[in-house]
Amino acid sequence: MAWPNIFQRGALLSQFSHHHVVVFLLTFFSYSLLHASRKTFSNVKVSISKQWTPSAFNKSIELPVEIWSSNHLFPSAEEATLFLGTLDTIFLFSYAVGLFISGIVGDRLNLRWVLSFGMCSSALVVFVFGTLTEWLHFYNKGLYCSLWIVNGLLQSSGWPCVVAVMGNWFGKAGRGVVFGLWSACASVGNILGACLASSVLQYGYEYAFLVTAAVQFAGGIIIFFGLLVSPEEIGLPGIEAEENFEDDSHRPLISGAENEDDAEPNYSIQEDKTITQVKAISFYQACCLPGVIAYSLAYACLKLVNYSFFFWLPFYLSNNFGWKEAEADKLSIWYDVGGIIGGTLQGFISDVLQKRAPVLALSLLLAVGSLVGYSRSPNDKSINALLMAVTGFFIGGPSNMISSAISADLGRQELIQGSTEALATVTGIVDGTGSIGAAVGQYLVSLIQDNLGWMWVFYFFILMCQPPEMLTRVKAGLFFYTTGIIVNDFYHCCFMNVLNGL
Amino acid sequence: MALRGLDSPLSVVPWAAALLLVLSVERALALPEICIQCPGSVQNLSEVALYCKQTSDLMLHARCCLNRKGTILGLDLQNCSLKDPGPYFPQAHTAIIIDLHANSLQGDLANTFRGFTQLQTLILPQDVNCPGGINAWDTVTSYINNQTCQEQRNLCNSTGDPEMCPENGSCAPDGPGRLQCVCAEGFHGYKCMRQGSFSLLMFFGILGSTTLSISTLLWGTQRRKAKAS
Repeated sequence: MAWPNIFQRGALLSQFSHHHVVVFLLTFFSYSLLHASRKTFSNVKVSISKQWTPSAFNKSIELPVEIWSSNHLFPSAEEATLFLGTLDTIFLFSYAVGLFISGIVGDRLNLRWVLSFGMCSSALVVFVFGTLTEWLHFYNKGLYCSLWIVNGLLQSSGWPCVVAVMGNWFGKAGRGVVFGLWSACASVGNILGACLASSVLQYGYEYAFLVTAAVQFAGGIIIFFGLLVSPEEIGLPGIEAEENFEDDSHRPLISGAENEDDAEPNYSIQEDKTITQVKAISFYQACCLPGVIAYSLAYACLKLVNYSFFFWLPFYLSNNFGWKEAEADKLSIWYDVGGIIGGTLQGFISDVLQKRAPVLALSLLLAVGSLVGYSRSPNDKSINALLMAVTGFFIGGPSNMISSAISADLGRQELIQGSTEALATVTGIVDGTGSIGAAVGQYLVSLIQDNLGWMWVFYFFILMCQPPEMLTRVKAGLFFYTTGIIVNDFYHCCFMNVLNGL
Repeated sequence: MALRGLDSPLSVVPWAAALLLVLSVERALALPEICIQCPGSVQNLSEVALYCKQTSDLMLHARCCLNRKGTILGLDLQNCSLKDPGPYFPQAHTAIIIDLHANSLQGDLANTFRGFTQLQTLILPQDVNCPGGINAWDTVTSYINNQTCQEQRNLCNSTGDPEMCPENGSCAPDGPGRLQCVCAEGFHGYKCMRQGSFSLLMFFGILGSTTLSISTLLWGTQRRKAKAS
């Protein structure tokens, strides 16, 4: 295996102009802000459910109705919590649906407009949801549900657009490590949202929404005036042009060599490379691109496990070990940290190897071990945190990589070179499928945990790691073949025919 | 009432002020109904009259003793043939002294005096007990033709339960023998969940100027040379 050109080319960093830095930061923070407003919602849940319910305080002392019990949207805090959980699910589903749509829209319209519009309009919806209804004292379940559906649809414009922009600017040479670092944006957004919300929550929950919505709106304006969606916009050569000078770069890193053999020529939209073709790819065509469906399904399983960790980890910790909720919240950050380090490191290794699938396969194989280890964690916070970081490294890492670097690889593979407008669509498909998996997973986890207990939840997670593991092994077929593992050749034959035939 | 909302107990202050203003304007035209529902005026030797003459600022009007702002400080409804204090009675919640004796009052007065936090002297018919019971007053004296309740007690300190109110609430007297939970110092809003006030002007000022400068900077360095697309 030849050492990659990134070393021969000299330092990776020297290729980057100030435009690259600005694009990296703008996309990073625009997605952070979108995620921050989601985090705000989960952080103010206690305050909102108090606001919606009358006071449940029965002592002989008089509680003036106006202060304590004039709001009757829900009779008790439990029912309000249930409704808030429903809003979460509604959001995840509409977000998933929105991802499919907005990817397609993003490829057809200007990415900058779509991203900017998505941020500003979703900020307005959040403002109406959290601030305006409170100022007007208008509480209505139907209104809340419909606003949150609209918010999910609008928010979904963020991810496909930012990944597409990043894919336009950062060639696949350094894509793994750049995207690995960049995919920390969701975690940074979570921290940002938690800080913003907690700093103004004392003035009332409506101000937590107001502040995050206003900052997000401002971010949308800055994106509109400052973002360059591709190097071509200012006359710089696009990354394809750059890559075309190099021999090995026609092949996307995600696939083994086999895709080139299997590729049907009629997928190839581009014939003449000197003409920049901007016609967008259709949804169906995007689905047919080799690897898209496979990685979407793999990502659905991984995102299911990943989001289950996000949503259920604090609850599991306080439930299983009896740790305080605030402490469990703080501790669960380590999973994030592991995911960021894992994504970056594995991205770097995959850059060096110029193949992503083997790295993912190995990581997911080890993920099973780390899940078994974590499920047997002793009642000790530091050991648990360490195991959690390791689990995040092996599960969150691949998950981050699929949703960012690999989506970009898939959307820019040589079959559609020239039609650069497939990136957002492909990203939307991958992330949308993942979000559906995540939404279904939240339901399944609560079901399994209720009926069978936490151990079975972990078995379920291990089971969910198998399909992506298998898929990536198939994708890495050549790699294993050369090392002489015949079983994988078998997998390769069976699955590749199925997958690439789709 | 519904529109008035629950923003803060502080919002009650302008309302009360407005109410007082309305009352004082009305007084020029008409006294509060409670003062004139019973014909005649305060008798010269009554307790209310004595109280009212102690201070030069106070004036007697019909059955009431009012200060210059028109607030009712004393109410003398003795010998009015009342069976109950009537619908206008809450107008007198600011009263310090109330005389209700020589009426055949019936029923429980506990709810009648809700909000009468200033009340220090209450003269009732002989057969009527002091509202809130003996514990609500420092002195309860029975005379031949009346019963006098004096010096309302604040029961908040005597119950000895530090958590008698929900979170951020604090106990406050609400008339004789009555307690209520209002927002503790510094808290306001529904369930007293809010503290302080958010400076919208400052927030949007800072955010707006930051956005403007970053946008200008990025436009200058990034998009200025961009081809129109």
